[in-house]
Amino acid sequence: MKVRERISEASFNREYSHTVGEITSPNSRIVCRNVNVYYGEKHAIQDVGLDIGRNEVIALIGPSGCGKSTFIRCLNRMNDTIPGCRVTGQIVLDGQDIYDGSLDVVPLRAQVGMVFQKPNPFPKSIFENVAYGPRIHGLVSSKAELEEVVETSLRRAGLWDEVKDYLHQPGTSLSGGQQQRLCIARAIAVNPEVILMDEPCSALDPIATAKIEQLIDELRSHYTIAIVTHSMQQAARVSQRTAYFHLGRLIEVGETAQIFTNPRHQLTEDYITGRFG
Amino acid sequence: MQKSTLLFLLVLLSAAAYHIGRRRSLQVAGGTVRSLHSLPSYYGYYAALWCGIPALLVLFLWTAFENSIVIQLVVSALPEELSSAPPDRIGLLVNDIRNVASGAVAGEIEPAVEAAANHYLRLKDTSNRLLSVLATFVAITGAAYARQRISKEHRARNHVEKSITVFLIVCSTLAVFTTIGIVLSVLFESIRFFKEVPITEFLFGLDWSPQMAIREDQVGSSGAFGAVPLFVGTLLISLIAMLVAVPIGLLSAIYLSEYASSRFRATAKPLLEILAGIPTVVYGFFAALVVAPFVRDLGARIGLDVSSESALAAGLVMGIMIIPFVSSLSDDFINAVPQSLRDGAYALGATQSETIRQVIIPAALPGIVGGVLLAVSRAIGETMIVVMAAGLTANLTANPLAAVTTVTTQIVTLLVGDQEFDSPKTLAAFALGLVLFLATLALNIIALHIVRKYREQYE
Repeated sequence: MKVRERISEASFNREYSHTVGEITSPNSRIVCRNVNVYYGEKHAIQDVGLDIGRNEVIALIGPSGCGKSTFIRCLNRMNDTIPGCRVTGQIVLDGQDIYDGSLDVVPLRAQVGMVFQKPNPFPKSIFENVAYGPRIHGLVSSKAELEEVVETSLRRAGLWDEVKDYLHQPGTSLSGGQQQRLCIARAIAVNPEVILMDEPCSALDPIATAKIEQLIDELRSHYTIAIVTHSMQQAARVSQRTAYFHLGRLIEVGETAQIFTNPRHQLTEDYITGRFG
Repeated sequence: MQKSTLLFLLVLLSAAAYHIGRRRSLQVAGGTVRSLHSLPSYYGYYAALWCGIPALLVLFLWTAFENSIVIQLVVSALPEELSSAPPDRIGLLVNDIRNVASGAVAGEIEPAVEAAANHYLRLKDTSNRLLSVLATFVAITGAAYARQRISKEHRARNHVEKSITVFLIVCSTLAVFTTIGIVLSVLFESIRFFKEVPITEFLFGLDWSPQMAIREDQVGSSGAFGAVPLFVGTLLISLIAMLVAVPIGLLSAIYLSEYASSRFRATAKPLLEILAGIPTVVYGFFAALVVAPFVRDLGARIGLDVSSESALAAGLVMGIMIIPFVSSLSDDFINAVPQSLRDGAYALGATQSETIRQVIIPAALPGIVGGVLLAVSRAIGETMIVVMAAGLTANLTANPLAAVTTVTTQIVTLLVGDQEFDSPKTLAAFALGLVLFLATLALNIIALHIVRKYREQYE
């Protein structure tokens, strides 16, 4: 039987009555409570509470403009770069509130890496693209160590064998799928704990997509991953938990298998059965 | 009939032709405009074009050739002893005849000249009458022809649009041909110069002193045309200007595009661009009257010997003038760096200054270099500031405190005042102009090439 939840207008600090399902994770690493995001007057995210667990891939799905990208951009404070954007509520990473005034965003972003929708390699060589993060954070002390970090990162991103002889070619000379894996290598080179992916495959062809998905699955053993996707098949393939956003609210969250086979909320069902979106 | 009256008449005739064409088209359509190929007004324009353009062509050609033909006729009708004179004598004579004809000569007039002047006036009069008749006839014939062509199937719109295209092509080629004409004239005058002064001496000579001795015993007029001191002076001043403009322009562009609030940016950017709108002559007297004495006094205070027309003063002011070029172009290119690159760097935990230094500037660099090269070509060609502030002495020096002169300054001084157009002194200006043109052209081509290559990368 479907639970039809009424979307309540009540505000702060109460049960997440508009969210169906278990928002907590057995092994929580990121804990979000009462998260609201405003772009000027626009209330982009309303009262979201969600946990993201260790070694877990959580997929955020929902129609365009529902706030899923905005939500993951809160997790490494990338929204700070957008003028007029305001975030309230609590986001706690490993016991530390990341919106606390005393927190420095530079180490936070080294801890929470991000991969974007469009591959965005820097206009530098492949080597320099990957070496950039370790360099600015002073993670390596010698050239040999740097080379090792670059190689490990490229290997983990599954790109090493394809580029090992062209490390000094510009990163922009690679194909789209290779560029995206380069960006993943660049993100993991600073040894983050969490990786945020904002539609990482939307600009890629099916073969490149398959490679990235396989990579996400392998990366799960080391990292916590949150991925925004428009492809429900992709969400079903790569994630353990899935969260469905609708018009700035988190509607339903649960085990991926349960969400896709037996959604409890009418909106979730409508979306995944393709009635809209 | 006067030519202006004739022109007015032709316009009236064309207007009439428009109405005739339009009425005719409605007539052949039998009242249903839809059965016509084109809208009635197109038939009107068609008739007007047929009426006006051939007649205007006749008017134009007639005016172009009328004078020389009339003069020929007058000269051939002159008495034997006058028409057998050498060509330059005849030229003077023709001038006399014209002056007499226009009544601008007082006093004694030779009877032969007076007769010729009368002949000239008669011929002019006949020619004018002939032209009026001919042009009117052509206009009316054209209109009649067009009217007769009008039918339901006649594609008036296509004809009219075709002629509009031709008109546009003529307009656009006019500018191109003017440029080509200027280049060719500079080129030919320069070739004349290089016949008198060897090109190697001009390009590699170290001594510039263009005053030519007119009498044997004149001193201080060696007539040396080694342009190296001018090139060095130009480069020195441009270098100083770029040393001022590039850092200030680039840094202000970085501040405006990356750090400034949008409100500050909205005020500061137009203000900065006002610098580009100040007439260069204003910069010139600012350089000559304010900056140069200031630099000299400052130098005197710290014990340096600074010339009152120093390269430093001219270069500083020129640099200020160029700041908006550098900053506005750099600003555009920094803004053109995709936001995704900034996001990528921030997401790795780069600070704002790391992002700017290591990601944004390298990405925008080709565009910035292109902008700087455009600014250099502007600096090299700049005239007014250096004429007023840089002095005229052709010193071969790299000392920014000494007075130097530039290519543009020398062109101005060579062509100001009385001059003979066959002396190397005057022709040298054309050679300098050619060098200047080639240098700025090369810089512009390189700069635009770099800029275009950069644009392709991100769009």
